[in-house]
Amino acid sequence: MKEYDVLSKKLTKVVESHGINRRDFLKYCAATAAVLGLSELEFTTRVAQAMGTASKKPPVLWLEGQSCTGCTISLTQSYPPVASIILDTISLRHHGTIMAAAGDLAEKVLHDTVKEGGFVLIVEGSIPTADDRFCVVGGKPFKKTIEEAAAKAAAIIAVGACATYGGIPAATPSKGVGIGKILPGKTIINLPTCPVHHDHLSGTILYFLTTGKAPALDKIGRPVMYFGESIHDNCRRRGQFDAGKFLTDWNDPKQKEWCLIQKGCKGPMTYADCAIRRWNAGINFCIDCGSPCQGCAEPGFYADMTPLYTAESEISKKILAMRESGLIPKKENT
Amino acid sequence: MAKITIDPITRIEGHLKIEVELEDGKVKNAWSSGTMARGFEALLKGKDPRDAPFITSRFCGVCYSVHQLASARALDAAFGANVPWGGTLLRNLVMGAQYIYDHPLHFYQLSALDYIDIMAIAKYNGKDKDLLAVKDKIVGLVTAKDTYPLTPRYEPDAFSVNDPDIVIMAVKHYIDALKMHLAARNMGAIWGGRTPHYQNIVVGGVTSYPDINQVARFRTMLDEQAKFINEVYIPDVLLFGTGPLLPLAKAGIGGGHYNYLSYGDFQLDAEGKKLVFPAGVITGLNPANIKVDPVDTNKITESVKHAWYKENKPVHPYNGEQVFNLDKKGAYSFVKAPRYEGKPMEVGPLARMLVAKNPTLLDLVGKGVKPGAVARHAARAIETKLVVDACYKWCDDLLAAMTKPGFKIHDTEHWEPPSSGMGAGFSEPPRGALGHWIKVKDKKIANYQCVVPSTWNASPRCENGVRGQYEEALIGAPVPDPKNPINVVRVIRSFDPCLACAVHIIDPKTNEIRKFIIE
Repeated sequence: MKEYDVLSKKLTKVVESHGINRRDFLKYCAATAAVLGLSELEFTTRVAQAMGTASKKPPVLWLEGQSCTGCTISLTQSYPPVASIILDTISLRHHGTIMAAAGDLAEKVLHDTVKEGGFVLIVEGSIPTADDRFCVVGGKPFKKTIEEAAAKAAAIIAVGACATYGGIPAATPSKGVGIGKILPGKTIINLPTCPVHHDHLSGTILYFLTTGKAPALDKIGRPVMYFGESIHDNCRRRGQFDAGKFLTDWNDPKQKEWCLIQKGCKGPMTYADCAIRRWNAGINFCIDCGSPCQGCAEPGFYADMTPLYTAESEISKKILAMRESGLIPKKENT
Repeated sequence: MAKITIDPITRIEGHLKIEVELEDGKVKNAWSSGTMARGFEALLKGKDPRDAPFITSRFCGVCYSVHQLASARALDAAFGANVPWGGTLLRNLVMGAQYIYDHPLHFYQLSALDYIDIMAIAKYNGKDKDLLAVKDKIVGLVTAKDTYPLTPRYEPDAFSVNDPDIVIMAVKHYIDALKMHLAARNMGAIWGGRTPHYQNIVVGGVTSYPDINQVARFRTMLDEQAKFINEVYIPDVLLFGTGPLLPLAKAGIGGGHYNYLSYGDFQLDAEGKKLVFPAGVITGLNPANIKVDPVDTNKITESVKHAWYKENKPVHPYNGEQVFNLDKKGAYSFVKAPRYEGKPMEVGPLARMLVAKNPTLLDLVGKGVKPGAVARHAARAIETKLVVDACYKWCDDLLAAMTKPGFKIHDTEHWEPPSSGMGAGFSEPPRGALGHWIKVKDKKIANYQCVVPSTWNASPRCENGVRGQYEEALIGAPVPDPKNPINVVRVIRSFDPCLACAVHIIDPKTNEIRKFIIE
């Protein structure tokens, strides 16, 4: 049996364990297939065929470098629920925040899994380049651990702004970089935003387990299905941007839905689907709590985005100049 | 004398190494090392001060946004901003949601595996359908010979709970808690925008103008949380603490220096006369007669004697100016050593509940639960309920305030940075006393310093060689088998370590890093 059939069978079991029957599940598959850009028939057939046989769970190593663990917390906001991902879907060999083991026991699992190879490597946090000693785990520079693990990994996913492009640590004296910088020539699936969006992560894992492949990536390694359009293109407040209504006072109920450009919003230069997908089960996202998009899906975050809350950053100036000269087209049919 | 090293300590936030020396089966000496640094404060120098709450929130993504709040408060002081009552209520509500998520997460996800023998589940013979599903799941993992990430582990010891009925219930609650703290984070996102890392807290107040339906939604979600806290979390903690873990609690493992500090936090009225957590300092606790002194933050200093920074005398955080020295002799951590009147302090739930002389906690102490590892878990559960109760009040107060004319959430008059100024912001996030200090010059950040909860608790030795609180708390902990130091991780995890924020750096000259690399 092909690898993807085996894996989709596991997925089926996960869904069933949440009280969804086979018919509903196949309907769900059709919707998922549409999202993943697969032929519905092809996808559904694959999953249906896969039902009924046992398999080994794919091993996963989750390694944390210069991180804040926010991406891990975001993982626990995913669907399917994190308990089922961890216990039913994957074999989570190493995750510093979740695993029972500590110290040499934890290090041994890491070492053994790397030796065995064929695992999915997920990295959270940047890698210091000013001096390896800025991040030492298990007595070993984190950079070395990543180099060794990457050499034996079946797939590599960088999660969050730090592991993808360096994020905030890139602007610190430790000079943090994304893992792509130390792994030249390796294909890395980059899932930026600070932290990683829970749907981007679980969807990418789901895609990989189902198809055995990485999703289509843009030229900086981001899945096109999540990072293909700008925040601005899909922002509810876009009409206000076009009309020149910019929020200046958070106390004024009249301005509540106005555009946040003058408060430093980088939405027109940021490619991610937050404005449609939203966060926390669709409850909210940055702009809808009155806070500007700070461009955390882009490689320039944070250094290019400061000052964050005024229109004085180079990016904000560019956005305003483009608006002035008509380079940001107005939304059609509004 | 056997020396053992546990690196990494897992199920915490950040990178921590613990070394202990053993004598006669007990910890004789201990060293706590933070092994990762980024250097956020150095990054902040020269930036627009309004960036600071956003950036410092990223110190930690587990206790997200606690720095956002402390930072915004430091800026409030430096800018001369007066946060309107509406702004304070919305800050309190999102931080309340943060507490309600964070404390149960620590108990179930980060600590429980240290106290239960999860494999005892196989012996469960009851009929409960939900519990049998849990049993099937765990037995299924064992049968498939793939029990990651639940194993490997330190082996259960004499203190471990192995009654199948209790263990299986605890594991079910572990899974339930995952759903509950997800829901609690969603609750915070109603105004915070998203989690981890809220987006709505800025100098002068918040950005999220509320509507009535949001209050109704928050309150409805709060009902569900209150039910879990009152009917599952608190009973579990009390059951463990006064039942199977009573011997561990009576042994007082993980006591430490018995000095406690709380800055006090979370206004219950617009005037700030009543707080959820009162401020105070306790030196050399006597549980029978607790003496609480007022806090004077001018008495705080930080020592870098045993940390990887250039030699400097202990100074107040306003004047902290440190430069890395990764080759320094005698240094073993990126964490500095804060002291209050020269003394190490414990901060966090146990400190807050002792300073508050909380009757529920004192009742437990009366029953033999000595201030130590088990008492920390109890204090955490007790104060979660206090926060839940406060959230109900804040919802009511917000509804009353927002339906009156002139309702405000932000001090717009003081949005622009002053040409110069300084300010301090204090807070009591889940892990304990947090302070941010800022100096503004020419509308930019001239200096930024934080003294965070895990800096207090995880600190190395200071000028006088006095151990930090983790180190002291480990002394005497029984480790009969050097290969199985389960009591060491129990003690350390009872503090809910959060190392990413404990480690921070100031680099006043941009070329300093290059310098020590060449050396």
